[in-house]
Amino acid sequence: MTPAIYGLLFLGLAPVFGGLVAGVDRRVSARMQGRVGPPLLQPFYDVGKLLQKQSRQLNPIMEPMLVGHLIFMAATGALLLGGTDLIFTTFVFALAALLLALAAGSANSPYSFTGAERELVVLLAAEPFFILMMAAVCKVTGANTFEAVLASSQLVAVQLPGVLLAFLLVATIKLRKSPFDISISHHPHQELVSGLTSDMSGRLLAYVELAHWYETALLCAFMVLLFNWSVALGLAAFGVAYALEILLDNSTSRIKWQLVLRSTWVATLVFSGGNVLALFVLGR
Amino acid sequence: MSLPSLVATLVALPAIVGAILILISGTSLRNAVVVVGGLLVAATAVATMIVFGNGDEVFFGLPGGLEPGQALLAVEIALTAFVVVISLKHRRFMAPILALTQLGITVWLELAGRMPEPDPSRLFWFDRLSLVMVLVVGIIGPLICVNAIGYMRAYHRASPMIQGRRTVFFSLLFAFLAGMFGLVVSNYLPMMLVFWEITTICSFLLIGYTRTEETIGYAFRALNMNLLGGLGFGIAIVLLSGQTDGLDLARVTHGPAGAALLPAIALLAFAGITKSAQMPFSSWLIGAMYAPSPTSALLHSSTMVKAGVFLLLRLSPAMSGSTVGYLVAFVGLLTFLFVSLVAVTEQNTKKVLAYSTIGSLGLIVGCAGIGTPELAWAGVMIIIFHALAKGLLFLVVGTIENRLYTKNMENFDALMSLMPRISTLFLVGIAGMFVAPFGIVIAKWTAIRAFLLVPGAAGAAMVLILAFGSSLTIFYWGKLLIKVLSARKVTAYERSIESRVSRYEWSTEIAMAIGVIGVAAFVGLISDRLVGPYALFAFSAAPRTFLALDPATLAVLMAAMLFLPLVALWVWRHPVYDHADFYAGGRSTSPGHVMGAALGGIKKVTLRNYYLDGVLDGPLVFRVGTLACGGILVAMVTVGMVVRP
Repeated sequence: MTPAIYGLLFLGLAPVFGGLVAGVDRRVSARMQGRVGPPLLQPFYDVGKLLQKQSRQLNPIMEPMLVGHLIFMAATGALLLGGTDLIFTTFVFALAALLLALAAGSANSPYSFTGAERELVVLLAAEPFFILMMAAVCKVTGANTFEAVLASSQLVAVQLPGVLLAFLLVATIKLRKSPFDISISHHPHQELVSGLTSDMSGRLLAYVELAHWYETALLCAFMVLLFNWSVALGLAAFGVAYALEILLDNSTSRIKWQLVLRSTWVATLVFSGGNVLALFVLGR
Repeated sequence: MSLPSLVATLVALPAIVGAILILISGTSLRNAVVVVGGLLVAATAVATMIVFGNGDEVFFGLPGGLEPGQALLAVEIALTAFVVVISLKHRRFMAPILALTQLGITVWLELAGRMPEPDPSRLFWFDRLSLVMVLVVGIIGPLICVNAIGYMRAYHRASPMIQGRRTVFFSLLFAFLAGMFGLVVSNYLPMMLVFWEITTICSFLLIGYTRTEETIGYAFRALNMNLLGGLGFGIAIVLLSGQTDGLDLARVTHGPAGAALLPAIALLAFAGITKSAQMPFSSWLIGAMYAPSPTSALLHSSTMVKAGVFLLLRLSPAMSGSTVGYLVAFVGLLTFLFVSLVAVTEQNTKKVLAYSTIGSLGLIVGCAGIGTPELAWAGVMIIIFHALAKGLLFLVVGTIENRLYTKNMENFDALMSLMPRISTLFLVGIAGMFVAPFGIVIAKWTAIRAFLLVPGAAGAAMVLILAFGSSLTIFYWGKLLIKVLSARKVTAYERSIESRVSRYEWSTEIAMAIGVIGVAAFVGLISDRLVGPYALFAFSAAPRTFLALDPATLAVLMAAMLFLPLVALWVWRHPVYDHADFYAGGRSTSPGHVMGAALGGIKKVTLRNYYLDGVLDGPLVFRVGTLACGGILVAMVTVGMVVRP
C-alpha cells in the first residue's frame, strides 16, 4: 500500500481508535476510583448526543474555528502517515492546537478566556519538545517520513531514551491528564469548570471531542515512530504509556501554569536536549 | 531601456522625487507627486525585472562611461558635515567622533594614494539577489509612501502638538528608497558604503521626526549604532584596499574567504549585524517604534534592516564553513531566541512587531552565517515573506492606532467587531508571518533540516534554539489573535470608526494583502525561478530542488494560509452576535460584559492576556541577550582579525 492510503485510513479509523481509548480510559479510571464506570462505547454515545443538541455560541467565529481545529488535527495525522516530512507535520499540529485556543479566547468570557490563555501556555510548553523529537528521529534514522522511519533497521527508542522520557511527560499535556490539565479537564474528579470549553455546547463540543480523538491517535503514531520496529510494538508501548498516564491522572492534582511551563521546558531541555546533544557530538 | 540605464533610473528617480517634494508645500500637489512618483518607481522596478530576465549576474558601470571620481568623497564629506552640525546642535558628541573618524580614514586612503581605482565596468553588480531586493524596495516602498499620505493626515489630526514637517517627511521616504536601490546594486565597496551611510542618516531623521526629547534620544541611539557599523565597514575597506580586486564585492565573496580576506569579512559582517539590529544592537530598532508607523513599516519591511541582512547574504559564500561564519550564525540565532522571549512579555503591539522583526532577521543572519545553498535559499525566502507581511502589519497597526488611539494589545479587544475589514487585513498579515506554513515557516523547516547536518554541539544548539524560539512566536501571535478575534456588541459610533479610514490606506493595505497571498500561492514558482537559481549560482552548487511539495501538503498549506482571513470575511458578512449570557460560575451576567459580584452589586469584566509574569522578566532577558550576543560578536571580530587558519 502506498503512504497516501495510510493517510486516508487515518482519517477514517483514528476517531474510532481515539474514542475507544477514551472509553477504556473512563472505565479504568472508574475502577481506580472504586466505581463501575460507563459502557466502553459511552464516548461515542456522548458525541452522538452532542451533535443533536442545540448549540449556543457567544461569537459566530467559534464554530468555523473549531471546525478548523478538527480539520487541521485530522490533517496532521493524515500528512504524517501519508508521507509528509516529519518536522513539517509538527507545524501543522501546532496550528491545529492554536485554533482551539483561539476559538475559546474569541468567546471573550472569563472562564473561556482563562482557559484559552492556559491553552496557549501548554502549547508553548509542549511545542519545543515535538519539534525536537522529530528532529531527533530524523537525525537517528536519516529518514524524514513516517514510512522511512518504520523501514529503518535501528530501534529509535534505544537511541533516544531522553526523548522518550520527555515524551511521557509532554504527552500528559496533550492527553489532558493531571497534573498538566490546566486548561481543560475531561474528568469529573478534577474540577467542576473546565475553562477552555465552558462556553462551548452542542456540536461545538462534539468537534472538540472528535479532534481530541484524532490527537490521541496522533500521539499513538508518534509512539510508533519511537518504537519503529513494528506497529504492534508501538501500540503496545502506547498502551503501557497510557496506563501510566491514567495512574498519574488519578493520583495527582493539577498544578499552576507557571510550574507546568517550567517543568516541561526543563524536561525538554535536559532530557531531549541532552539526548540530541549526545547524538550530534557522537556524530550520529 | 538597457539594464544599466534602468538601474541608474532606479537610484536617480526617487532622489529626484524626493528633491521635488521638499520644494512643495501644498498638500494636494504633494499627494499627487507621492502617488505618481511611487507608481514610476514601482514601474521601473518591474521593468528592471523584465529586462534582467533570468540571467545569472551582470556587471556594469555608470551610463555613458562616467566615472565616480571624487564624487563619492564629496558626498561622504557632505554627509559627515551634516552629522557633525546636527549632533552638535543637540549636544551629542559620539556621532561626530564616529563620522569624522570614518571620513578621516577615507581621506587618508585617498591622500596616501592607497585607494585603488575602481574598474569602471564593474561598479554595479546585478544578480537575482539584487533583483529580489529591487522588487522588495521598489514595490513595497512606494506602497508605504502612499499609505503615509493617509496616515500622516490622521496622525497630525490626532496629535496636533507634533512639530515635524510633512514636507521633509515624504522627501526623506523617497531619499531612503534611492539609498536602498543604490546599496543593493553596488559592487564597488566604497560606493556601497556611501549608500549605506545615506540610509543610516535617512533613518536617523525619520526616527527623530516628532522632535520630542524621547524620540531625539532614540534617533541618536540609532545613528550612533549604525555609524559604528559604518566605521567597521570603513575599516574593512582599508584592509581590503591593499589587495588586488579587494574592493570588488563580487570577487571578495566569490567563495570561502582565505586568511587574507577574513578580517575584512568579519568587519563587514559586524556592519551587517548593526544594521539588521541584531543583539547587542537591537535597542535602536525598538526605540524607532516611537516614530510614525510608516517609518516603522519602511524600516522593517523594505529598507534599513534588510540592508543589513542583504550584506550578510552577500558575504554568506565567503563566511561559509569558517569560525567567523558560525559565530555570526550564533549571534543571529540567539537574537532570535532572546527577542522571542522578550516579545512574550510585551504589551505594545508595535514593539511586539519589532521584536518579531528582529527575530526573523536573526533567522536570516543564522542562515547567512552558516552559508549553505539551502540556508541561503531559506534566508532570501524569509526576506520576501517578511517584507510583505510585516509591511502590511505595520500599516494596519498604524491605521488602527490613529483610529482607536492605542498601540496596546490589550485595547485591541473585539477588533473584529469594531473594524471587521481592517481586522481581515490584519489576519492576512499575521497568517503571512507565522500561521501559514508558507514562507517563514517553510524557511524554519528548511533551516531545522539543514541544522541537522551541522556537525557537533553547534548543530545541536541550533536545533534547540529553533525549537524553543519558534514555539515562543506561536505564543505571542496567539495572544494578539485572541484579542483581535474576540467579539462584543458595538455601538453605532464604534461601527463608524472604520469608515473614516482614508482611501490611501485602504488601497495600499489591500494591495499588500494581495501581495502576501500571491507570494504564498506562487511560492513554488518563486523558489524554482528566482531564489533557487540564486542560491545555486552564489554557492556554485550542483542543481537540486529546494522545495518539493506534494499536492496534499500544498492543499493543507494553502488552506492554513487562507483560513483565518476567510473566516474573518465570513463573520463580517454574517455579523450575528448571539447575546447568550456567558458562563460565570452561576452568577448573573449580561451581554455588555457585566456580571454580578460576589458581595452584591455588578462588576464589569475585563480580560487580560498572560505575559508570563513571574516566569519571564522581559528587561532582564533583553539584557542577558545583549551581553551574550555582544560577547559572541567580540569573539567573532577577534577570531576574524587574529586567528590564521
